[in-house]
Amino acid sequence: MAKMVIGLFSGSIDRLTGAGVISSGAAALDMDIEIYVLIMGARAFMKENSEKINELSETPHLQDQFFNGLDKNKVKKWHEFLKDVKEITNVKILICGLAGKIWGGEKTDDFIDLVDDICGVGEYVDAATNADLHLFI
Amino acid sequence: MTEDELKNLTADKVVDARGTACPGPLLAAKQKIAEVQSGQVMEVQSTDVGTKRDIPKWCNKMGHEYLGTVEEAGYFKIFFKKQ
Repeated sequence: MAKMVIGLFSGSIDRLTGAGVISSGAAALDMDIEIYVLIMGARAFMKENSEKINELSETPHLQDQFFNGLDKNKVKKWHEFLKDVKEITNVKILICGLAGKIWGGEKTDDFIDLVDDICGVGEYVDAATNADLHLFI
Repeated sequence: MTEDELKNLTADKVVDARGTACPGPLLAAKQKIAEVQSGQVMEVQSTDVGTKRDIPKWCNKMGHEYLGTVEEAGYFKIFFKKQ
């Protein structure tokens, strides 16, 4: 089965949403997915932060328009995309150990239930090297 | 299939994904296709314009036979046969 690897560096709502949408497309194509959550992304996956994320990556003046567009089109929350994708295909979500520590997350339980484990960056680079599709978001 | 043939076609499974944005209709197709047998026809209804291109490409990738799309008032009916 083909595999997609995402290096999810961003913790911004627009990019997190994009990662969820793209993962949905990969799941529809029966691809396995591995998401390696890097520096800023780890903050979004913290239990106390996942529902609070609302910053855009580059265009803060478009925040209201962005959220209005999501509501109007009944777009799921970023983590709901990932939850649904996990029910369709094989998905592993791994938090970079260093990234977790930066935000105070030392163990898997510090993150939302979608997270499978804590990993080292070597595993990410190896996975990216062997993936059929590698995205850095 | 011609548009007239499609309009007279009764699908074995109808999936109403109207009102959901991309990737909703595609995921609905992916999830519901498990409920039909090989050779049976599925119809996905969508209000999302991108689905008209997305599902035929998905069919091609997954080996299903895309039969065609019919435009109704405000939505599309996309037909394909499970491999």
